[in-house]
Amino acid sequence: MSRVAIVGTGQTVHARRRTDVSQAGLAREAVVEALADAGLTMDDIDSVVVASGPAMFGAVNQPEKWLVDALGARYKPLVRVTSGGGTGLAGALAAMNQIKGGSARRVLVVAYDKLSEGALQASISTLYDPFWGREFAVGIMGFSAAYWHARIKRLGHTEEAAAMVAVKNRHNALVNPKAHVKREVTVEEVLASRPLCWPIKILDVPPISDGACAVVLAADEDAESITDRPAWIHGMAYYCEADNAADRSMLQSEPLQIAAAKVYKDAGITNPFRQFDVAEVQEPYTCFELSYYEGLGLCPEGGAAELVASGATSMTGELPVNPSGGCMGANPIGATALIRLAEAAMQVTGKAGDHQVPEASRALVQAGGGWANLRGVAVVGADKN
Amino acid sequence: MTLSPTRRVAVVNSAQTLLTPSWSGRQHIDLISEAVNRALKGTGLRIDDVDFVIDSGSDFLDGRSISNCGFLGAMGAHHKEESRVEEDGLWSVGYAADKIASGSASVGLVLAYSKPSESDVRAFWTGLLEPFTQRPTGLDQFSAAGLYAHRYLAEAGLTADDLRPVARHAWEAAARNPFVDVDEVPAEDDAFWSEDVATPLRRSDMARPVDGAVAVLLANAEVADQIARRPVWLTGRGSAIDQHFLAAREPHSLPACAAAVRSARRMAGDSAAQDFDIVEVSSTSTVGELMVLEALGLAEPHRGVELFRDGGPRHINPSGGALPADVIMATGLARLHEASSRLSGRTDYEYDGFDDARTALVHGTGGFGMQNHCVVTLEVAS
Repeated sequence: MSRVAIVGTGQTVHARRRTDVSQAGLAREAVVEALADAGLTMDDIDSVVVASGPAMFGAVNQPEKWLVDALGARYKPLVRVTSGGGTGLAGALAAMNQIKGGSARRVLVVAYDKLSEGALQASISTLYDPFWGREFAVGIMGFSAAYWHARIKRLGHTEEAAAMVAVKNRHNALVNPKAHVKREVTVEEVLASRPLCWPIKILDVPPISDGACAVVLAADEDAESITDRPAWIHGMAYYCEADNAADRSMLQSEPLQIAAAKVYKDAGITNPFRQFDVAEVQEPYTCFELSYYEGLGLCPEGGAAELVASGATSMTGELPVNPSGGCMGANPIGATALIRLAEAAMQVTGKAGDHQVPEASRALVQAGGGWANLRGVAVVGADKN
Repeated sequence: MTLSPTRRVAVVNSAQTLLTPSWSGRQHIDLISEAVNRALKGTGLRIDDVDFVIDSGSDFLDGRSISNCGFLGAMGAHHKEESRVEEDGLWSVGYAADKIASGSASVGLVLAYSKPSESDVRAFWTGLLEPFTQRPTGLDQFSAAGLYAHRYLAEAGLTADDLRPVARHAWEAAARNPFVDVDEVPAEDDAFWSEDVATPLRRSDMARPVDGAVAVLLANAEVADQIARRPVWLTGRGSAIDQHFLAAREPHSLPACAAAVRSARRMAGDSAAQDFDIVEVSSTSTVGELMVLEALGLAEPHRGVELFRDGGPRHINPSGGALPADVIMATGLARLHEASSRLSGRTDYEYDGFDDARTALVHGTGGFGMQNHCVVTLEVAS
């Protein structure tokens, strides 16, 4: 089977409110940077996949149609793939399938969100069933808090451990030139910050951002002719679980475990903590990063608090997690998952600048969305595998 | 550039619900699960045998963010790979076919649905427009079709009355189709034929939104040869999008549709059929349908209406097409279902006369003013 690699990445400067560009302009900014990184033009692109958050977030229906003119995509295949907050990774997976299936050789994936233009939590609340779910739900925070509370009791994912995630990621974001929030915090400050939905406090929560990310994927020989440093995709998957049913414990995320098992098999990963040099995960709240450590097999069940406290996932640890700062640095939801993939590609190709993990050659990517029922995993590496 | 697929992919079965202006007694999940269950029935496959699900629906029509999340159970997607392609279901077929062709899966389910009766369809279409310079001018799906029609009719030297046979052909076929809720073609003096909707277009010229769901099971050759009596092979696939700004597009033709069919033909290769026994196309208006047929090379530019003389072309939209039954997010997928049912000889229709049909071309469209186009070509063994 032909290999697929990332040959170019681009990101906008993320900000709370980008009043200088429209949604189309925002997407274009990331695409221009990604094409320049790959040394390509739109003429070289066979197909475009647009990924954005739920369209209601930005209040334009099927917004990919509007982007065509700004991207120069006229008469090309262009489609939008969407799958909740992890949609950027779902878009990259669609692009990878186009290449492996033989219908394209060079695919541009662009993901963006302009959350300053929509009513975010109100839109999120419409996720739930209009008859049975909606009146109980307040955005995404209520159930996340309930599940975290269960994990505090059962798995020891304490407020202190989550605060360490906030401290770590916010510290890492300080040296990421694209990050939108650059403010150092302490564990004490996180713990003392205002509760929004206990145990979730305001410093456990990422910012809301306007931003875009673009990635160019290419088939085997194309990738090698485009760049001498491709980031090879060793595996990628995106799984779901259907129901928010009473028997869904959520202590561990089943779709995350299924996706990780699939991708690790494809990528030849048997000891993830040892085999990865760096990880980028999509943490909508700090508590989720703790849960991912376990779902991704970086530590045993109930071991996440100890792992973060050991410093192993900090920038100088054995397996730095979110050297970019993760969502705490910037969180344009529809683009966030693709940013994780782009950051991982930057790490294994040595392009991560001040937040480069020295000699990183294999990176783990996690993303997800929905009501925490959509979960994706990817592995990228400097080696062709 | 489009390349030959690395592995063959076939439609092994497909199904749809009744397409009707209002499924008032049933919810989305009821329609979706009916289509899925019927697509599985008789194949020997169970939902556990399906490797992945790709679906098309609209958050805006459903009034629900990430609406695929709410229907994962009905789609049978639990613990499977699933993604939403928020475009007509024919684009989901493209995704699923790529995934099977890559060898990473053997059986995929494609699902598309809409329930416009629960929604403000006009707002859905208007919401597609870029909000700064187009939306405030009052452009909408109707006025866009009207503007195209004005320019097209002038260029072709036709009047609005000349479009009647196009609509009549569609509605007569739909009246014969047990899966489209049309009892009979409206009478000659019915307001249906005269009520202005977007001058020069009348109600009879516009596609009628309907509720419904369509499911298609795709498989690789190993599975298809085992379980389908007559697998319907996907020979070519292509899609292309036009500019968003209406004023920037060609005034009375659809070059993106022409680009899509070129890609599909290129993928199918020289040995593939050049003529098609069945053609199923989507459109939002009669003039749209003529422009599609011309872009597909089935008629000369501005001469499409000649196809509809003397009762019309039997092989074009034998299902009735999109005018009597526009499922919005599932219209192109319904075309694929209709064409592959006939090719495989598994239609339940009383009379069809397509026993010898071996090849088909299927078209889907999406976006404001038919901005996006997708073409799939199909073939069965003789």
